[in-house]
Amino acid sequence: MTPLLEVRGLNKSYPAGRKGLFGKRMMQVLRDVSLTVQPGEVLGLVGESGSGKSTIGKAILRLIPSSSQAMRFDGQDLNTLPSADLRRLRKDMQIIFQDPYASLDPRKTVRAVLSEALDTHDLHRGAARQPRLTALMEMVGLNPIFLDRRPHEFSGGQRQRIGIARALAVEPKFIVCDEAVSALDVSIQAQVLNLLADLRAKTGISLLFISHDLSVVRYISDRVMVLYLGRVMEVGGADQVHFAPRHPYTAALISAEPSLGHAPDRIRLTGEIPSPLTPPSGCVFRSRCPYALPACAETAPELRPAGEGRLKACIRDDILQGT
Amino acid sequence: MTALPLAARRSRRLPKLPKRMILPAVLLALLIVTPFAAPLLTPYDPVQISVRDRLAAPSWEHWLGQDEFGRDRLARVLYGGQVSLTVAFVATSIACVIGTLFGLIGAYFRGPFEFVTTRLADVVLCFPPILLALLVVTLFGPGADTLVAVLSILYFPAFARIAFSEALRVSALDFVEASRALGTPSHRIVLKTILPNIAGPVSVQYSLTAAAAITIESGLSFLGLGVVPPAPSWGQMIRGARAFMNQDPLGILIPCVALTLTIYAINFFCDRLRDTLDPKGNAGGKDVTSVPAPGRAPVQEEADVIASVRDLRLELRHPKGAVDVIEDVSLTLRANQCTALVGESGSGKSLTSLAIMGLLPGAIRQADGALHLRRKQGGMVDLGALGPKALEDVRGNDVAMIFQEPMTSLNPIHKVGAQMVEAILSHRKMPRAEARSRAIALLELVGINEAARRFDGYPHEMSGGMRQRVMIAMALTCEPRLLIADEPTTALDVTIQAEIIELLQKLRQDYADGLSLLFISHNLGIVSEIADRVVVMYSGQVVEEGPAQQVLTDPHHPYTRALMESMPSAHADLHSARGDRLQAISGTPPLPDARPSGCSFRDRCPMALPACAEARPPLFASADGSRAARCIRAPEAQEAA
Repeated sequence: MTPLLEVRGLNKSYPAGRKGLFGKRMMQVLRDVSLTVQPGEVLGLVGESGSGKSTIGKAILRLIPSSSQAMRFDGQDLNTLPSADLRRLRKDMQIIFQDPYASLDPRKTVRAVLSEALDTHDLHRGAARQPRLTALMEMVGLNPIFLDRRPHEFSGGQRQRIGIARALAVEPKFIVCDEAVSALDVSIQAQVLNLLADLRAKTGISLLFISHDLSVVRYISDRVMVLYLGRVMEVGGADQVHFAPRHPYTAALISAEPSLGHAPDRIRLTGEIPSPLTPPSGCVFRSRCPYALPACAETAPELRPAGEGRLKACIRDDILQGT
Repeated sequence: MTALPLAARRSRRLPKLPKRMILPAVLLALLIVTPFAAPLLTPYDPVQISVRDRLAAPSWEHWLGQDEFGRDRLARVLYGGQVSLTVAFVATSIACVIGTLFGLIGAYFRGPFEFVTTRLADVVLCFPPILLALLVVTLFGPGADTLVAVLSILYFPAFARIAFSEALRVSALDFVEASRALGTPSHRIVLKTILPNIAGPVSVQYSLTAAAAITIESGLSFLGLGVVPPAPSWGQMIRGARAFMNQDPLGILIPCVALTLTIYAINFFCDRLRDTLDPKGNAGGKDVTSVPAPGRAPVQEEADVIASVRDLRLELRHPKGAVDVIEDVSLTLRANQCTALVGESGSGKSLTSLAIMGLLPGAIRQADGALHLRRKQGGMVDLGALGPKALEDVRGNDVAMIFQEPMTSLNPIHKVGAQMVEAILSHRKMPRAEARSRAIALLELVGINEAARRFDGYPHEMSGGMRQRVMIAMALTCEPRLLIADEPTTALDVTIQAEIIELLQKLRQDYADGLSLLFISHNLGIVSEIADRVVVMYSGQVVEEGPAQQVLTDPHHPYTRALMESMPSAHADLHSARGDRLQAISGTPPLPDARPSGCSFRDRCPMALPACAEARPPLFASADGSRAARCIRAPEAQEAA
């Protein structure tokens, strides 16, 4: 099956001050990230702050410039696509944001928000508009009589549903969910997760689900990619990665997750997350890794196969072999 | 906090013309319309000379008298106003449109556009305004057209800068990004999304600039560089009357009064406009801390009780009557014990803790209940009976608090060590050197490596986890018996969160003679790791409490159970790809002014009975008294256990 989205060798740097008189200091927030998303698949991206997970989402949507060896979406090359074609392609790829307050224009009614999406792509004009808006509201579990209200009249969970309705309005094939449920209370978060699960089942949409919450990512994703300081640490099936991590960082992340009932045997990480300006040589995780060897400082480990459909960027094969 | 959404909702539901805008708007409109109604108000021609009547005093024919050429002063001040106002408003409008356009384009497209906008504005701002005006007038000759051109050039950078910085702020918001992701064309985003959101500051700038333009126009005309005589303008009138100031002070007074009134009206309008457009100006209720009300009955408490809250009721003052945000909350905090206060946003958990600190926001009033705290000297004190001074002494000495975002609680411009030393010295008299060594010892206690080096660092040089450690160290400076931690790890990454939880656990065991910890969190996982007792809050009430392990393994209240069921981490076997759904709680928590009758949770409760609507259920205690749940079906659940 040809993937819906294929990204190879994605890099992203930001200028970060000057070095000497003429040199520019660059902060590399993504290094050599490759990923694929199949039609109907949910790929989870997890990592702590500074891991570059949100940057990946925005780079794929071309909301920020980036460089990559290849970035193909639905058979089209995103790197060489002219801007007029890109605008047309945006109908197929959408985004849902984290902050339900910042993601809606306080001055626009729900109708205006959703109509902007439809107008831009010339969809459901005239008499077809109202039924479409009603259907969208119902799809995300909001009463259509709320169409003429403004965002401040809604709760956080309801606003997030409006944000989802906006993304769904143009019937995309792919949505980037950038921490889409992180700002919500637990009971509301479950409602929105159920909504996303229903959408997957009904529409066969593909998602790139970005979150720092491992349990949420495990529930919603088919495959999970773990990032640390802009590098891929591990990729694999959601349950596999969650219950039998192969990379020490993934294992530490999962054991740090607070859980009900028993306190797990925590893998203790030492030290702070290094600055992306001065990442450690070799493996970027070695400065905090409980399993680090002298060899880890020498070369950056390649992503290599670690069991069926799994990849890890760690030179050690003698640890974390559980299933 | 519960108070915020209410206040915010009120402030945003503004009518078209708010009451406070009526007076300034009418005044300003009157002053602008009057000059243009000149032909109706006076039959005289402002340039018609009558040498015979020069400097004539006011009369029935000439209400304001006649000037040095015998021209009617009323006509001159009115027609002059036409010229002055037209020049000012046309120039300001041109400056506003051009400047805003530059600012918008510069901020949205960045790159070379940003460079052009900011540098162009800088260049114009480099010239002293009068010098620039003189230069242009010398080049093009005086006259109203030249004045308009000068003033437009002079004022467009101010608009460009305001529009630029505001548009930059708005462009960074997610909703603009969402429009871009939708493929909305750039011109539409700029005009339909960004422009309406920066209209407030730009319109305030417009009124300010118009007032300034009137002054500059008068100044230039006074210097003979503006409107060419004999055409009237206020500056011209002042210039003419200056020579006869001693014989006829009225001549100079009239244009000056006209100027002053107009500028005052515009500024008055600006001030009100700014207040109206600023949502904070409407929030009402100043953020003063209120002192707890005295408790009703003195309480006898056991020796290990550090703090007790009895039947606390807090109300939010509201123009339409008070709303109870907290109802009948009782808590007992013991030495060496960690009590977790759990609930979703708006449940009242933070307000409860602020009440213990005596730090309630001004809009919230303690309507009932008693708060007692054990002081280090041993006795329990009624917080309500203490004055503000004594309360300040209690805070820090006996009870301290740490918050979610450590950066907002640390002063960014002072070194970490200096802030700690200040905190120590404000409660204890000791030599500075001793305070310093104490502060370093505290930093070591909270696990900061190279404490002596960090002591001389600034907060921004530290990571979020380290800053939270510093906050904990500062909270411990005076060895309080009670530490309140309000979502202390919510802003931190999971690996760092685990470290902070471990630190708090360690402190409870090692620190002084036993720390009582009140841990506020929405995360049941963390709570199960740290807490001895759990108090679950929902919509301003305690709905369940008991030993942490019992409550979290066998909840008696349907809300507690539903909250646990809705966590994905509690369901390792469920997966969205297999069509599994999480057990979400339907609906949203009620606002304090819209709680259902009877049990507050009943309209979201899967187990609700008709009887639940009748009366607010009390807390049903279990047989051994160790737990309680506010549910009429709790006795069933307790029996089953």
